[in-house]
Amino acid sequence: MQFQKSFMAGFAVVAAFVLSLGLVARPALAATPAEQYITDSVQKGMSILNDTQISKDQRKTEFQSFLLGLTDIQRIGLYTLGQYRRTAAPEDVTAFQAAFKEYAMAVYQSYFAKYSGQSLKVTGSYTLTADETVVKSVTVDPKKPGAKPFEVNFRVLNAGGRQVVVDFSVEGVWIRELERNDFTSYLGQHGGDVKALTTMLKQKAAQTK
Amino acid sequence: MQKLSILALGLLLCGCAAGPDKNDPYEATNRKIFAFNMAIDHLALRPTAERYNAYVPESARDGIHNVLNNLQAPVVFANDLLQGAPSRAGETAERFVLNTTLGVAGLVDIASRLGVTGHDEDFGQTLGVWGVGEGPYLMLPFLGPSNPRDALGRAGDAALDPTSYIRIKRHLLWSGVRLYGTVLDARARNIDALDGIERDSLDFYGTVKSLYRQHRQSEIRNGMPEITEPDSTE
Repeated sequence: MQFQKSFMAGFAVVAAFVLSLGLVARPALAATPAEQYITDSVQKGMSILNDTQISKDQRKTEFQSFLLGLTDIQRIGLYTLGQYRRTAAPEDVTAFQAAFKEYAMAVYQSYFAKYSGQSLKVTGSYTLTADETVVKSVTVDPKKPGAKPFEVNFRVLNAGGRQVVVDFSVEGVWIRELERNDFTSYLGQHGGDVKALTTMLKQKAAQTK
Repeated sequence: MQKLSILALGLLLCGCAAGPDKNDPYEATNRKIFAFNMAIDHLALRPTAERYNAYVPESARDGIHNVLNNLQAPVVFANDLLQGAPSRAGETAERFVLNTTLGVAGLVDIASRLGVTGHDEDFGQTLGVWGVGEGPYLMLPFLGPSNPRDALGRAGDAALDPTSYIRIKRHLLWSGVRLYGTVLDARARNIDALDGIERDSLDFYGTVKSLYRQHRQSEIRNGMPEITEPDSTE
């Protein structure tokens, strides 16, 4: 009986503490330009993905042009070549970049389409270099409010006053880094043949479309 | 003990052939083990996970996931403390008490609904927080991507787990069921994501390596800012 009483008292303390966590109001902080940029972009992207008025193909085209405006795809492409960029012939790099653009658009599109119906809430940011900021966000799923959110971060570059996304991460995995490891690993297995990589990327883009 | 012998086997198998990646000196052997693991996955694990998703209702799968997570709570709690994070340990303890009692032996994650969300910790991460480097990348048979630090961490977690010391009949069988359940639960929950990554990869081995290494580093940092290399495109 004594044990039961003390257990109930302990439980009440735990419950009161838990409930109080939800009641503490967080002070509102002004969003930085990079945070605002991501908040606006997320809203824009989600409105395209959730637009049921347009056809599936139209949605795809609109979302891809939105992604092209949001990201610096040329820069991302060059980064993913890693050390092979220095040794590859310039025309091979140009052909690679065109194929990478097709591939990345198809892959990113299919990736974000999985999150349609959900949204992202910007939670803060930190400075990486003088020109680069990492904007942090978490997924919000209206259908599963208790579900553990995913962390999605964006690396935003301020290129002469224009903001562009140069990388994004899900649960700590940066996509540009992942692609670089994938491509350089492939090149390592294929004697550094950038032409073969370009052909593979075209195939993958066609498959994903 | 079983885990230790698997670790020893993994180290033994990886003791040959050096590759060009400085983080992956045993790439040739790792690739062979990866091919073996993928064959097992495609033949047995993935089809089972597919059937599990098809025939077991989502609410039941969520319940199983919650029970497995709750059983892991003492290990997370111990690692929180070992990492010098008492407030995170408090959260874990609070979740364990709430979910074991109000959550009916862990079936319902009532704590998350009350705003106390969970986090993962393991001894591999604790070693990382203590400054132990990851060492060479290792692909372990059946267990997948790892490194000496995280493989040792698995053995550490078994030592920290109170259920390892409970003397019940058929202890080994129950441990096996739990391990199998954990693997199946993880595979089933990530089936779409992994299918997508495999489809989009050019060299799935390289992608899995990057995924594993980046994700582990992020887990060790607990979401704190990372030190990334400068943008090298210019």
